[in-house]
Amino acid sequence: MIWFLLALHTVVVVAIAVVGRRLARGALWLAAVPMAVTAVWSATRVGSSDAITAGFQWVPGLDVAIEFRVDAMSSLLSLLVSGIGALVCVYAYGYFSPGATSIGRFAATLLAFSTAMVGLVWANSVWTLFIFWELTSITSFLLVGFKHADPVARTAARRALVITAAGGLSLLAGFVLFVDAAGTALLSEITPITGSTANAAAILILVAAATKSAQFPFHVWLPGAMAAPTPVSAYLHSATMVKAGVILVAVIAPAFQDTDIWKPLGLSFGLVTMVWGAVGALRHVDAKLILAWGTVSQLGLLITLLAVGTPKATFAAISILVAHAVFKAALFMVVGEVDVRTGTRNINELSGLRRSMPVTFVVAVLSGASMAGIPPLLGFPAKEAAIEAALGLSGGEFLVVGGLIIGGSVLTVAYTTRLLIGMFGSSEPMVDRDVTPRRPAMSGPEVILAGASLLGFVALGWVTGIVRPAVVTVSPKAEVYSLLRWPGLTDAFVTSAVVVAIGLVIGALLARRHVVSGPVARGAANVDWIIDGVGRVARQVAARVQHGSLPLYLATTVLVVCAAAVPFVGQIDADTLYWWDNRAEAVLVLMIVAAAVSATQVSSRLGAALVLGGVGFSVAGLFVAHGAPDLVLTQLLVETVIVVGFVVGLGRLATSFPTPTRLWTAGRVVIAGAMGTAVAVALAGSAGTPVGEAPVRELARTAQDDGGGKNVVNVILTDTRALDTFGEVIVLMVVAVGILTLSTKRGRGKVTR
Amino acid sequence: MIARTSPIVSLAVRAVTPIALVAAAYVLFAGHNQPGGGFAAGLMLGAVIVLRTVAGLQQPKYASVWLSVGGVIAGVVAIAPMFWGEPMLDQVVVSWDVPLLGTVKTGSALLFDLGVVAIVVGLVLALLDGLDATSLVDRGRAASPDERSDRGARA
Repeated sequence: MIWFLLALHTVVVVAIAVVGRRLARGALWLAAVPMAVTAVWSATRVGSSDAITAGFQWVPGLDVAIEFRVDAMSSLLSLLVSGIGALVCVYAYGYFSPGATSIGRFAATLLAFSTAMVGLVWANSVWTLFIFWELTSITSFLLVGFKHADPVARTAARRALVITAAGGLSLLAGFVLFVDAAGTALLSEITPITGSTANAAAILILVAAATKSAQFPFHVWLPGAMAAPTPVSAYLHSATMVKAGVILVAVIAPAFQDTDIWKPLGLSFGLVTMVWGAVGALRHVDAKLILAWGTVSQLGLLITLLAVGTPKATFAAISILVAHAVFKAALFMVVGEVDVRTGTRNINELSGLRRSMPVTFVVAVLSGASMAGIPPLLGFPAKEAAIEAALGLSGGEFLVVGGLIIGGSVLTVAYTTRLLIGMFGSSEPMVDRDVTPRRPAMSGPEVILAGASLLGFVALGWVTGIVRPAVVTVSPKAEVYSLLRWPGLTDAFVTSAVVVAIGLVIGALLARRHVVSGPVARGAANVDWIIDGVGRVARQVAARVQHGSLPLYLATTVLVVCAAAVPFVGQIDADTLYWWDNRAEAVLVLMIVAAAVSATQVSSRLGAALVLGGVGFSVAGLFVAHGAPDLVLTQLLVETVIVVGFVVGLGRLATSFPTPTRLWTAGRVVIAGAMGTAVAVALAGSAGTPVGEAPVRELARTAQDDGGGKNVVNVILTDTRALDTFGEVIVLMVVAVGILTLSTKRGRGKVTR
Repeated sequence: MIARTSPIVSLAVRAVTPIALVAAAYVLFAGHNQPGGGFAAGLMLGAVIVLRTVAGLQQPKYASVWLSVGGVIAGVVAIAPMFWGEPMLDQVVVSWDVPLLGTVKTGSALLFDLGVVAIVVGLVLALLDGLDATSLVDRGRAASPDERSDRGARA
């Protein structure tokens, strides 16, 4: 079933890529099919304790395998990924206007991203996980840069790619160290590891997770990624992309729990991100950016809880992960709908939408309340679990971690309140003509997701039933915990009541304050400055090295060859050298030398080309003298084509060579002499040290039997060493493609002369 | 165009073309047991193409088609054995009896060589295209009326 679903995804991606243009928005429905099927299958698997596996050895020598394992955790995650994915497809159908272009490309990329994400959550081998991790980076780059005509989107996409791809490199290094220390690449066989290798692996993997899950200071790509169409944001920044890092930390945490570095580093990432993200959410006026910064903050909370690592905290983290996926997707959808129907996302310009967009308003309030942790919504018991976990800490950890988690929760309530009041509050409603009609394809998914937040609270026992087995896979002691609808008047409940109250007040106060525009994204600008700087330096270096002067290139090459010939000097054995095998060689060599020397003396280019051809034909004669008919044939043909080619090409140049200066001539004499000497020395040196029996005898023996041919040279070319030939053929192709590309450009420019 | 100004060149190139094609085919098939092979056959075809282009009988087109076809053939031959668990580029030798010719023995190496032929031809076409050989030939044609009028003036 695992193979079937992954194949289904892939086939549909290809199908949409091929015929998507004709389907227009219908491609989105097609893309929703594999996601829906996966979601339904995952739904039948959630909560069950047995696991389904699939896999094969990929590189047996390196113990690199493609391994999938669908257990309680991965089926819960794929339910979120695919379920929300299918809803996003439907939502996108409403989001894009009927005439929108490139919807096929969008649908194919979205589904490809979803495939990568499903592969990632199902992966059991770290190598499999790594491959899908990188695939999510690439496909999300394409999604963020979907509006590729917009420079802002392009820059944002590039920023996201560079940061997450750098994290990918860190992840690869971390996995190599991890496998070395743990002795297994399978996530299901993880045991706690310690030591310096484990510490290094912990740092690398945490940094990778931090880049993906937008932890401070790597978070700068996430707000920029809001340049993507809103369905992309609703998908990437709720259930998928940014959760990849959190999921990685969750599943690999059991291995690093005992290392010295894991917890402090994870906590620093998480706590700083949580607070900084919430502050950012309070400063912005673009509703989508508020949500983006809110996401950063929530991710910080998740990483914090996972880094704390107690069973209770892990349980709370996974619960919040589920709740967050549901409410954040709905909120992004709400903002997207507001944007589409009113033409703005600025909370200063929006007002009173509760009357003109009642359905959206209800969805926003339910989802927002879930985000703030207010009953009766799924976010409430999840947040309760988190606060309870925070209160369960002791000593300094309680003060710092617990304090910041509670503080962060206050800020979460505050920015949620500010966002909702900003969009839907105020006494003067936007008039109806400011708001275009409702689109059912947009409202549908929103209502389903808001309903899920509500139903999740009503059917809390079922939610506990699927979350708890998932948590148990990474933290076995968590099986005693449940999500509670009514915890009673515990410390945690009182705390969260206070949190909500303070948050509401702060949010309401801040909503009254008129902020003209949000803060400048200084971090993102710095990242862009670095990326551009690397590009500038690279261009300068390339301009130095790739100067375009053919004589200088040639001189450089010759100098390198001469240096390579130096070691052969010592190996020359005068006894092995003799003048010739037969006298014909002497004559041919004289011809070659004569032709080569006269080539330097001829003043017309055409003459030089012909004389050079004479050199080539004489060399072919040398091959005849040595009894190598294959070489003769090839050499003659190559020379023929080259001479004719020269004649064709010379039409572009002046008929005579320019008059050389004295320095120019001297330089050429030196370079030519050096090259000749270097080749002669290398040949003489290698002739002095023959090693063992000449391989030709063995090759001649096997040629007939293995290759089925009598011509040893060709059996070598097409069988014994066919891989070399294949490589050479590819080089030929690359050269040809290069020529075609360059010549096409020139043809377009029409500046031939 | 040289072909227009010089019927000798045109005729010679036309006459050589089929001979060179047969020769190239021979070299390709002979390559297994005698000198020859895909690279040599490709160069022969390439030489013919260069001549025909210079003579203005054809234009260097479809370089990318030749390249991609050749690349696909060589790539398929290279990878196909791996599906049967054999090493990459493993040879399959087949021989069958053909009337008149007797036993013909050949193998996947011949297919591989065909790919090489196509790539070499593609490379030659790409070179001619890159050198903009057609425009050179056209320039010759553009010059020719003047030459003719020169000659007329002299006469």
